[in-house]
Amino acid sequence: MTAQTQAAMATPLLEVSNLNTWFATARGEIKAVDGVSFSLAPGEVLGLVGESGSGKSITGFSIIGLIDEPGRIVEGSSIKLEGRELVGLPAHELRAIRGKTISMVFQDPMMTLNPVLSIGTQIRLALEAHEKLSAAEARERAIKALHQVRITEPEKKVDFFPHQFSGGMRQRVAIAIALLHRPKLIICDEPTTALDVSIQAEILAEMKELVAELGTTLIWISHDLAIVSSIADRVAVMKTGKIVEIGPAMGVLTKPQHDYTKSLLDALPSRAKPGQLLLRGSGIEDAAPPPRKEKTANLPPLGSPYLVIDHAVKRFEKPTGFVLKLAIKSGIAQPHPSVDAVSDVSLVLKRGEVLGLVGESGSGKSTLGRMAAGITVPTSGFIHLNGQPVMSAGRSPRKVTTRIQTIFQDPFASLNGRMRIGDIVAEGPIAHGLVTRAESVAYVQSWLATVGLDPSLANRFPHQFSGGQRQRIAIARALAMQPDVVVCDEPVASLDVSIQAQIINLLIRLRSELDLSLIFISHDLSVVRHLCDRVAIMYRGQIVEEGDAGVIYDNPQHEYTRRLLAAVPALPVAAE
Amino acid sequence: MLAFILQRLWQAVIVIFAMSALVFTGVYAVGNPIDVLISPDATQDIRAAIIAQYGLDQPLWQQYFSFLGRVFHGDFGRSLVYNMPVSELILSRLPATLELTLTAVIFASLVGIPIGMYAGYKPHSPVSRAIMAISILGFSVPTFWFGLMLIMVFAVQLGIMPAGGRGETVSIGGFEFSFLTADGWKHLVLPALNLALFKFSLMIRLARAGTRELMLSDTVKFARAAGLTEFTVLSRHVLRLISIPLVTVFGLELASTLAFAVVTETIFSWPGLGKLIIDSITSLDRPVMVAYLMLVALLFIVINLVVDLTYALLDPRLRKGRA
Repeated sequence: MTAQTQAAMATPLLEVSNLNTWFATARGEIKAVDGVSFSLAPGEVLGLVGESGSGKSITGFSIIGLIDEPGRIVEGSSIKLEGRELVGLPAHELRAIRGKTISMVFQDPMMTLNPVLSIGTQIRLALEAHEKLSAAEARERAIKALHQVRITEPEKKVDFFPHQFSGGMRQRVAIAIALLHRPKLIICDEPTTALDVSIQAEILAEMKELVAELGTTLIWISHDLAIVSSIADRVAVMKTGKIVEIGPAMGVLTKPQHDYTKSLLDALPSRAKPGQLLLRGSGIEDAAPPPRKEKTANLPPLGSPYLVIDHAVKRFEKPTGFVLKLAIKSGIAQPHPSVDAVSDVSLVLKRGEVLGLVGESGSGKSTLGRMAAGITVPTSGFIHLNGQPVMSAGRSPRKVTTRIQTIFQDPFASLNGRMRIGDIVAEGPIAHGLVTRAESVAYVQSWLATVGLDPSLANRFPHQFSGGQRQRIAIARALAMQPDVVVCDEPVASLDVSIQAQIINLLIRLRSELDLSLIFISHDLSVVRHLCDRVAIMYRGQIVEEGDAGVIYDNPQHEYTRRLLAAVPALPVAAE
Repeated sequence: MLAFILQRLWQAVIVIFAMSALVFTGVYAVGNPIDVLISPDATQDIRAAIIAQYGLDQPLWQQYFSFLGRVFHGDFGRSLVYNMPVSELILSRLPATLELTLTAVIFASLVGIPIGMYAGYKPHSPVSRAIMAISILGFSVPTFWFGLMLIMVFAVQLGIMPAGGRGETVSIGGFEFSFLTADGWKHLVLPALNLALFKFSLMIRLARAGTRELMLSDTVKFARAAGLTEFTVLSRHVLRLISIPLVTVFGLELASTLAFAVVTETIFSWPGLGKLIIDSITSLDRPVMVAYLMLVALLFIVINLVVDLTYALLDPRLRKGRA
């Protein structure tokens, strides 16, 4: 350690002590942040890790002074920036600090930038917040800022609107805005969570470089331990508003002291052997055993080809009206471009296997999954289950089998908020005559028990459940139809690691108990590795590589697969 | 963009044709204008002559097509009551309605939107609660009652405002307008206020709901984190983002007010289109009714087209044909 860094350590840039941020609710005050203390040296990168609701984002918002009603920073809390107390400052003084000395980057770049203002305008507004400058100067500064975050052709891009950028580019713009006034501290709240793996790796590398170049102090808030380990000097682990463990990144991630940190690490599929049950994160009791599967007729033996996708194509194009056709013919208008979301894909799912479908956003993996599940009609090609077509022929095809069911990504959107969960699960089986209405109550309860939910909760509504519980309900709904094939479209993408581990365990267990065949769509390579027997890598509507999971992960053949695997952030492994 | 406009114009033509057929047959199915036109003691010969003169002895489809033919030459027929060309009659009444409704809708927007945004920005303050109470009142008070109250208080009790009529007008290009004279404004204020009340409440509620939702959005949080002042956040970010639903409602309200300002125009004896259509319905003045209803259809189409084009102006995501 040099003398300079020692001196820097002596005078911390940021000193948070006994921070309490409480939210008034109808049921009393909730301590979102409960006595958090830490300090940051100039140029240091702190990783703030925790699951949703742990208070990590609220800590960030407290530091930048953006706690709105009904939240409040409780008396006795102290946030000192270069020795200056920020708690209790009047609003206009806090505003003068925001963006200038402390700035913030948010999670979802699709939501943070204003869609109706050009990038240049948004940068100018942020500049004008702290400086007086002419329009020409602002434009020049905007171009420079875009150049700094490695946006090519900044002179042209400055006039673009957010929708003309990809997610990664938008996040770069957000970072450019955060860097405008050379802030001493940047708070990044899950800045790469919403991005694809390869984009995430790029942003992460660039952020590291920028921070080193500018000497900025960084608080990196994330739920992803692997990402934090690749950027942070120190790591703080938060749980229910408290920091349970803080220390050098290597130390915390390889030799965790606190049980919670250990359980977080154990919940990661990348640290377990493929196919094994993951250790539970937050101590939820084991689910009840499932009911016996009701009889299913003439199924082929395990391991024989079951769901066959044959040269499936899905083309998206807008219908062209009469006048538009005329206009196109006479050359005044261009025809709508058509997009092949899935172009000529053939795939076989064997009975009893788990097939991972991996790809980045826009690769067509969800569209393929929807076609396999009989939700989307293929433009051409066939999908057969056990020799029978999945969808009927004709002008308006519809799904003709109940043997395939789907679990969707977002358990908040996929459950009808106005129906009781018992009715949600019972609806399909009753409609298809699997059970009578009278039998349905007991039937639903047994499935709820199977997925680890208390059967007596059948009369509640979805909003009374957490994300992980809702995903269990969605799984119960799919399984109650007695399917042989389940298409899981990113079923754990929106869940915390410990909940993710529970759902993965549930899928592993149910798969073997019910002889299910699964198509598991995911962008998370470590989850796929853990769960899947075979993997198909999708890229721009096509399958570029397919084979046994172990083989592909250890020895990728296609260039794209290699890039994808290289981009996955890895956790440091403890030296034994 | 061009393709979009062409498509809309094509739709507009179809709508206008459908509307003309509907209106024509609909209006001709009710009543017999001949009974209104000639005195009951006229002889059978005179009666037959007049029926032939107006072409009422022909079958309906023939009447419709000769009507269409005349419309193509800009001739909507003559009013049975005023005995003057319908187009002239409507054009003479249009400016009065136009200035009344524009004043009302613009006032409602210019005052309602900022007030609504304030209420959405500070949803729990007493002022905001008062604003919301007023807007509920504005929704629920019947227009005729509010108009009568305005006349009672300002014209009868206080005597500072006229109770009706247009007042002094200035002629521009052959059309009479009252918003250019002080006396004209005096006559305009009460009916415009009466007409604006409902739209005012609507704008408040829309602006409030939009602002309230947006204040919690990441866009606003990010703008605040960059240090923007609250005023800049509201005026540059929030206003732009809530303007799309506001423009939609503005357009719809403008069109429906232009077409159906009947109650207010009757109470304040404002010589506009609303009064004209009421009079023509009671006197079964068919050509006026048909022309008026087609004008209304045209108004809705034009205003909706303008609204759609404004969307593209407000939201870059809707601008097509650009890289």
